[in-house]
Amino acid sequence: MDQFSDRIEALLERVQKAPRYTGGEMNTAVKPWDSVKLRYGFCFPDTYEVGMSHLGMKILYGLVNREPDQVCERFFMPWTDMKELMEQEDVPLFSMESRHALYDFDMIGFTLQYEMSYTNILAMLKLGRVSVRSADRGRDEPVVVAGGPCAFNPEPLADFIDAFMIGDGEEVTLQVTAAVRDWKPTGAPRRALLETLARIPGVYVPAFYDVKYNADGTVASVTPNCEAAPERVRKCVVTDLDSAYYPRAFPVPYTEVVFDRIMLEIMRGCTRGCRFCQAGMLYRPVRERSLETLRSLAMDLERATGYEEISLSSLSSGDYSCLPELIRALMKDMERERVSISLPSLRIDSVLKESLEETQKVRKTSLTFAPEAGTQRLRDVINKGVTEADLIEKVTDAFSSGWSSVKLYFMIGLPTETDEDLDGIADLAQKVVRCYFSVPKDKRAKGLRVTVSASSFVPKPVTPFQWCGQDTQESLKRKQAYLKEKLRAVKGVNFNYHTPELSYLEACFSRGDRRLGRVLEAAAARGCMLDGWSDLFSFENWMAAFADAGLDPDWYAYRTCGKDEVLPWEHIDSGIDRRFLRREYDRAQRAEVTRDCRQGCNGCGLQRWKGVCACADAGHV
Amino acid sequence: MRMLATFEKSERLRHIGHLDIMRAMQRALRRSGLPVAYSNGFNPHILLSFASALPVGAAGTCEVMETAMAEDVAPEDFLRRMNAALPPEMQLSGARAVDDRHPALMSLVRAARYEIRIRDAEAAEAIRTALPAYLEQAEIVTDRKTKSGIKPIDIRPLIHELTMDGGVLRTELALTETLSCKPSMLLKTLGECAGIGEPRALVVRTRLLGEDADGRLVPVEEL
Repeated sequence: MDQFSDRIEALLERVQKAPRYTGGEMNTAVKPWDSVKLRYGFCFPDTYEVGMSHLGMKILYGLVNREPDQVCERFFMPWTDMKELMEQEDVPLFSMESRHALYDFDMIGFTLQYEMSYTNILAMLKLGRVSVRSADRGRDEPVVVAGGPCAFNPEPLADFIDAFMIGDGEEVTLQVTAAVRDWKPTGAPRRALLETLARIPGVYVPAFYDVKYNADGTVASVTPNCEAAPERVRKCVVTDLDSAYYPRAFPVPYTEVVFDRIMLEIMRGCTRGCRFCQAGMLYRPVRERSLETLRSLAMDLERATGYEEISLSSLSSGDYSCLPELIRALMKDMERERVSISLPSLRIDSVLKESLEETQKVRKTSLTFAPEAGTQRLRDVINKGVTEADLIEKVTDAFSSGWSSVKLYFMIGLPTETDEDLDGIADLAQKVVRCYFSVPKDKRAKGLRVTVSASSFVPKPVTPFQWCGQDTQESLKRKQAYLKEKLRAVKGVNFNYHTPELSYLEACFSRGDRRLGRVLEAAAARGCMLDGWSDLFSFENWMAAFADAGLDPDWYAYRTCGKDEVLPWEHIDSGIDRRFLRREYDRAQRAEVTRDCRQGCNGCGLQRWKGVCACADAGHV
Repeated sequence: MRMLATFEKSERLRHIGHLDIMRAMQRALRRSGLPVAYSNGFNPHILLSFASALPVGAAGTCEVMETAMAEDVAPEDFLRRMNAALPPEMQLSGARAVDDRHPALMSLVRAARYEIRIRDAEAAEAIRTALPAYLEQAEIVTDRKTKSGIKPIDIRPLIHELTMDGGVLRTELALTETLSCKPSMLLKTLGECAGIGEPRALVVRTRLLGEDADGRLVPVEEL
């Protein structure tokens, strides 16, 4: 702590938003540095405000710190002003807790939530004085690992990460920390450790795989070059979520972060099968926590944090099997503490009127609905099993129960989309506005606000749309302008959209291969970082980086992949069968919906893994 | 019942703003399990006030707060349970129960004592040299930001005491709801007088003072 603390304190007087770097939050007390055998630096490759809102980090932070001989401390990406000062004053990236340098840790782990955070990983390694390339790291340098949803296509980061952990982290993280702890004092070479790691189920060591390419640039093969490495790395699944580790205390930031509340993960996975949705595939199968466990967690977390709000979090909270009972129980438990309960990611077909009425007793925030597409045809293509009648019914309910603010999420650039589908978005927004005015004036809340958000579709690995090329930037821009014009005429509607350049790069990296590591290095060298922040995003620098690397971004983003093409991530076994994805792709072309797999197994592939998916074990196949 | 308490805002937390510290204290009250009182009304909140907002960038060793309990609580219990619910950087040092007629803390504050560590040794030396001349001045005029714009203010009568000990300035400055001298005003004018501009410094507020029945300045928490 003393090594850099004075210099850090001096820097903090010169930066904006110093509270990002101060640490000392409740529930972050550290262990004495020399009292442990393994020091794990958990790195969130974005700013403090974003990272501290992330549930996975809270889980893994608590998990590792529960081990008596291990410590986990946090690192975030500093903002540009702080980064420049640190470089100037020779202060390395330091941890929030003990302010030790990144290079002092035995193992450092990045969570991969978003492709556009990849340059931050390079920047953080460099600032932390850890060799950026895996191949360059010496015996005493930290072992660099990564996990999270983007690890299902780890290839663009293969040059920089020693080992990826694929899938649920609760079990594999401790297997990996234990392996590093045990290896450290042995004096065995780094390669010996990597071999040990490669033998842990769910761990992917990219250096142990050779990638061959075809003349047309597509991948010909990915083959292990080391006997410790399996042909395919199978993702980790926590089969019993109810008994899996969940923290009973969270760090409580001083400054407001994006999600500043208790996050209670009520279930993991989703059975809906929306064809664009990567999370819906990656987090299969659905696993729920029991009512009793959730009540006990909520009580403990409330006592440990003092938060005023709990949000039930999952991909599709409305599908939780006893949601009304849970909400009723939590409201009763939390009444004395005056905790409000919020339900994010409500799916419009599962918002029970009953639970709506119960949540409003506490607070009326804005309601979010995600029809995703403007017409029934396109919603069928993407398998979003939601109808206009559903939406109208739920929105009317909400307006007559006192809500006046509604957010509608859509995507543009979806496969098979035409202008008719865009008209459908405007039409739906118009109908929502009409719903509001159809509620008698004395029964509805004042101040109608309908926010229409249109994000640009990005094809993601391990989805039925993984073969689809992305819509071009020109086309997306035209569609945005078209929608803007259409929505201008609708009173009470606000229209939001993202810059298509960012979505284009996301598409490059989400489906990218190992060669893109060169682009990341070139982009980092050109100063690309914090690209998710529009004020820092420079598309020109990225295009120059692709040119430096001699790679064509259009080829990555726009190309429709061949039916039999080897996709760069297929040696990572997500459990989802390629044939299932292809079947779904074909059905999408015909606008055929596929049922929710709670109604019967659709054979996504998980049924092959004994004891993993309840629906398959029940013999629905 | 109302509870007065003194607490520390440690050096590490000095960049955390007043409202964020307030919220952290409210959350600690919630964590403590103490019978805290909430306001009435549509959006009930914990009744908590600080005697004075500490400027962003300043630490405080003896800040004063006041909160209300729905039931009687022994000050020792309050202290113990709050300290268990607070991070090491924000511990309470004392607590005292007061009755409902006790005036609002904010209205009691008249002055504050500070220790100001000048970061740079050369700057500290220049200030030490300039100090007698600085205090000799009949008036020390600087800018004050008000709602209606920047206005001149004479801070000389607001400086009750100013000495230097090593690289550390010790001072007592007027602090009321209407007329105050902020440490930054002192540093700016002192730096100008020494011909070095405003020096970089670590400001620690060590006491909040109020007036007792005999017109003497005593710690606010003792009134």
